[in-house]
Amino acid sequence: MDAGLPEAVQFIDLNTTAVLFLFVVGFIGGLVSGFIGSGGAFVLTPGMMSLGVAGTVAVASNMCHKFPKALVGAYKRYKYGQVDIKLGLVMASSAGVGVLVGIKIQEWILANWGQAGSNLYVSVSFVVILIVVGGYVFLDAWKTTKSGGQEMVPALALKLQKIHLPPMMYFKTANVRISMWFTLPIGFATGLLAATIAVGGFIGVPGMIYVLGASGLVASATELVIAFVMGLGGTVKWAMMGMVDIRLTLIILAGSLLGVQLGAIGTTYVKEHMIKVVMGTIMLIVAVSRGLAIPQYLKQLGLINLDDGIIAILGVASFVTMCIALAIGAIIIIGAMWRAKSKAASEEVYDQV
Amino acid sequence: MLRRFKERFKGRVGKAKNAASRAGNPAQAEEYQQPKENRKILVVGQGDSFKETEMDYALSLAERLGYDLIALNVGPGPASAATFLSPYRKYQRDEFSRRAQTAASLFKEKVSAKGLNFTHLVKFGDLGPTIEQLNHEIKRVELVITGSEASAAKVTEEVNLPLFILKGLAEEKNLIGGREMRQTRPWGKTIAWGIGAAVLYAATFLNTGVVMKYFTKGGWYAALPIMTVFAFSFVHGAFAHYLWSALGIEAPRKVVQPRPEAKRPVRRQRPRPELRLKA
Repeated sequence: MDAGLPEAVQFIDLNTTAVLFLFVVGFIGGLVSGFIGSGGAFVLTPGMMSLGVAGTVAVASNMCHKFPKALVGAYKRYKYGQVDIKLGLVMASSAGVGVLVGIKIQEWILANWGQAGSNLYVSVSFVVILIVVGGYVFLDAWKTTKSGGQEMVPALALKLQKIHLPPMMYFKTANVRISMWFTLPIGFATGLLAATIAVGGFIGVPGMIYVLGASGLVASATELVIAFVMGLGGTVKWAMMGMVDIRLTLIILAGSLLGVQLGAIGTTYVKEHMIKVVMGTIMLIVAVSRGLAIPQYLKQLGLINLDDGIIAILGVASFVTMCIALAIGAIIIIGAMWRAKSKAASEEVYDQV
Repeated sequence: MLRRFKERFKGRVGKAKNAASRAGNPAQAEEYQQPKENRKILVVGQGDSFKETEMDYALSLAERLGYDLIALNVGPGPASAATFLSPYRKYQRDEFSRRAQTAASLFKEKVSAKGLNFTHLVKFGDLGPTIEQLNHEIKRVELVITGSEASAAKVTEEVNLPLFILKGLAEEKNLIGGREMRQTRPWGKTIAWGIGAAVLYAATFLNTGVVMKYFTKGGWYAALPIMTVFAFSFVHGAFAHYLWSALGIEAPRKVVQPRPEAKRPVRRQRPRPELRLKA
């Protein structure tokens, strides 16, 4: 079965536990990305790596499931009037360049430091980005919750919108008028991150919110358009290298197409700042999870010397923390939906009296 | 009745009387009395009835604003004095009033449940002038709500009040009675697409060896996994869509209440003051 595969990577054998795990993680990942525009992958990539899938195969298979999922999610949220297609395409065009650069970096690391180096790079990227951006998003969400859930346009975005640097662009759904030059670095960073850890949205969504000034709802919905374009481009690249494990992709897709639609429906039930709450919370917990996995790769590279017992414990702790992140994200989303739905139902009954 | 009215509203009697006499029907003066001079919403029914959504919308609006509600049914007016006096015409008018009262009793129940003031009026004549006349007689009518676009057209021409027309009542009725609508859940489509998805999955996973051999070859074979995920997302995505729909998990209709379309009232031609000399 393994005949003809590239020598650098190994494809794992699937068992019932792995299939169930991927399906459930796919579902919850889909739920999260349908809700916050990205994600899923930040749980799925490490999830697959926990099953023993090589980092690059995990990223490639994940990306291959990402674009059809994003397509379905974007279509659903477009029907709810949340997607700014123009903003999505403008961002995606610069993100495309970011993806290509990101893949080049990955290939270079794989060639020079092998699988462990690649895994370490992915994990370190996770930790740094998730802590910095996730921390900021979480703080902002916390402040918004305390101030009664009223979202304000960030000061930075307001300043940038006032700078007249042609070509200026107007994004109708997002209701933002800003110079094209400010969208480029955000798009590029989104693509770079997407090619590295397969979750560009952790730069893209906060970038659209805090730098461009789009609302959380529009930013997260528009991210799905970017994810589709980038995911398709990235998949073509990875698939041409033969890195996509279609079995993993399809199992994840089975769960995530159910999840992404539920997540998209969920955005119509809850208050807007819930998107930031979910995003910030999940990012910080996953950062802890990936941080715990770093010593393992450092040891494989011979950079540190640690007892195998400690490495094993850290591995388990990393995995458990990631499961907690998953569970908490899903609980917040479903809980918020449940509350909103029962509130709406009670109002309906009240109206009918 | 009239005496009590006088006692309670001594200061306003003069005005009410004048208004009633301007209306040419002093007997109706007592209909216009309100328990207190609160702001009011005038709901114009369709002939002798009120639509469910019309009542619900007016009620929710009145509740939010703390306004009183006046329900109005306008019957066809007399074509001439002869028909006005005919027994058949009288019978028709009585019949109209009776049906209108029945329709309004339901409305009244709904309004009373919310603790708001409610008045029902039955008038005969042309819609526009009738409402305009009422506007003069009853103080503080703030806006008019109607579900009938035909009557709305008549009203806009002659009435100097904001008019709210509830559009698409037939569809909205289904929305409000959402429970009935959801009974037709798409289980058939869910099962059909589910079978389609299952077949695709079976076809792939029963031939894992062949699939993995070609799908990971790279180069132009990259088209294989990409085409596959597109096909799966279409079939399985449709299944997922219908499944949530069948389970009753759908985006709440943000426009559960019909969206009122505010129309600017047509500027009324006010007669210019004329100087008259009594020579």
